Amino acid sequence: MKKEVLLSANQPELGSALRKAASMTSADVAFEVRNAKLQGRGGAGFPAGVKWVLAGGASGAQKYVVCNADEGEPGTFKDRILIEKYADRLLEGMAIAGYAIGADTGLIYLRAEYPYLVPVIEEAASRLRQAGLLGRGIMGGKFSFDVEIRKGAGAYVCGEETALLESMEGRRGEPRNKPPYPVNSGFRGCPTIINNVETFIAVPHIILNGADWFLALGEGGDSGTKLFSISGDVERPGVYELAMGSKIGDLLDLAGAVDVQAVQVGGASGKTIPGSDRDRVLSFRDLPPGGSVIVFDGSRDMLGVLENFMEFFVHESCGQCTPCREGNSRLLDAVHAIRAGSLSGREALAPYLDLAETMKQGSKCGFGQTSSNCFVDIVNRFVLKADGQGGN
Amino acid sequence: MSGRPVSQIIEEGAARYGRNQEAVLRILTDVDRELGSVSEEAMAAIAKCCRVSSAEVQSVATFYSFISTKPRGRHLVRLCRTISCSMKGSAGILAALEKDLGIAAGQTTPDGRITLETTSCIGLCDQSPAMLVDDTPHSRLTPETACEIVRGLK
Repeated sequence: MKKEVLLSANQPELGSALRKAASMTSADVAFEVRNAKLQGRGGAGFPAGVKWVLAGGASGAQKYVVCNADEGEPGTFKDRILIEKYADRLLEGMAIAGYAIGADTGLIYLRAEYPYLVPVIEEAASRLRQAGLLGRGIMGGKFSFDVEIRKGAGAYVCGEETALLESMEGRRGEPRNKPPYPVNSGFRGCPTIINNVETFIAVPHIILNGADWFLALGEGGDSGTKLFSISGDVERPGVYELAMGSKIGDLLDLAGAVDVQAVQVGGASGKTIPGSDRDRVLSFRDLPPGGSVIVFDGSRDMLGVLENFMEFFVHESCGQCTPCREGNSRLLDAVHAIRAGSLSGREALAPYLDLAETMKQGSKCGFGQTSSNCFVDIVNRFVLKADGQGGN
Repeated sequence: MSGRPVSQIIEEGAARYGRNQEAVLRILTDVDRELGSVSEEAMAAIAKCCRVSSAEVQSVATFYSFISTKPRGRHLVRLCRTISCSMKGSAGILAALEKDLGIAAGQTTPDGRITLETTSCIGLCDQSPAMLVDDTPHSRLTPETACEIVRGLK
């Protein structure tokens, strides 16, 4: 069901949430976000409040708040729209996070593909500084917090939070071994929280209205609302805000999708389902919603779609671990072989489906653990099905 | 592109960001944005300035798609080739641009005016097909409008 909170025309006064947070203890602010069950809006779904509580309790004089604005998942553009319209709210959310964990520095890692958003963020930061909501002694108190922008340089993998940290430290964006987790050892080895743009923008609303209010926004046990960027074969592509736990069919109707062959939820690394599965749920319980929803109508060649995705993954793999570096290349080879007619049928494809599973189990980070999803889904549901060897 | 000497750009970056590993990517980005690419000499100078090896700087520079170690033209056209743009005809736009400019993707026009590249998703999927020309996004392209935009670049 459509439900607008982040995109509501009726926005709370800027600074009111930060003022309320500053009247609470920092631990209570982190607990409020934890109790709201705000799951990471970048798509991984890790509870943001848990990061805050852990980073708040971690030992270290210097801590950092990092905003992951490296939105690179194909089909995702919600964070671009959020920054264009709600950069003030993003900075307020980051400042609240800084108060909660005891950090005086926030960094926004902005993807290189959005250079035109740099002045938007800078202007918002100046406005907040003038209003006494950023800088030294915020609202006349002892709390100081300010932000700076760090620009990415064109690497999808840097959306992975430890690759992002490597990149901010001036190195190749190769994911780190975990543990240690960033909440203990993150940017410059200090306790760090890394949250998505949408996650931070939800925070002021949670602080003002309370965790219970946020919990009640969701459907079927999910909490809050979620933004979806929908593109492909729809009449009205754009960003829509729905209750978390809504049915995919509701979103398809809002965007004007007719003759839907397939829908991909969560981008290239997400799940691909047949268009007839309208009751599937946009939730971390079913279709994990990063933000991207791409619709394919009956005219689309799904093998061609898969080829485009695998080319993307081969190009973007950081190359550090073998399952991801080699696996994606092999799966792309398989797509070419299917196209050429030299690879067909369940038996011949079985080794590639095994390889996809190996990548999922054996890759170091979320990239390689999810990049074979589209291969498995499209081969099982569309390629083999067309062969009369239908998958599930 | 500015005609400033690379040493000046590096020094300015070092003054702002420091002389350490963390400054490497930031200075590389500044040099690349101002000069269009990062030469071998520039990488060696950044290494010296940031007190890391030249190999380290080269390894960082070659990791990121937006940094080039090959000279590029005065303007950089990056056409998105990922799915939503591809579904709305990015291949036809690429073909038109290649024909109009007389170069293939990844090449620079002989007069040094334009470098044409394809890129992964640039987050303009609601207005696809789209491209970035230097820092400016252009969307809902047709082969005609794309060629017109590129012809207008000096």
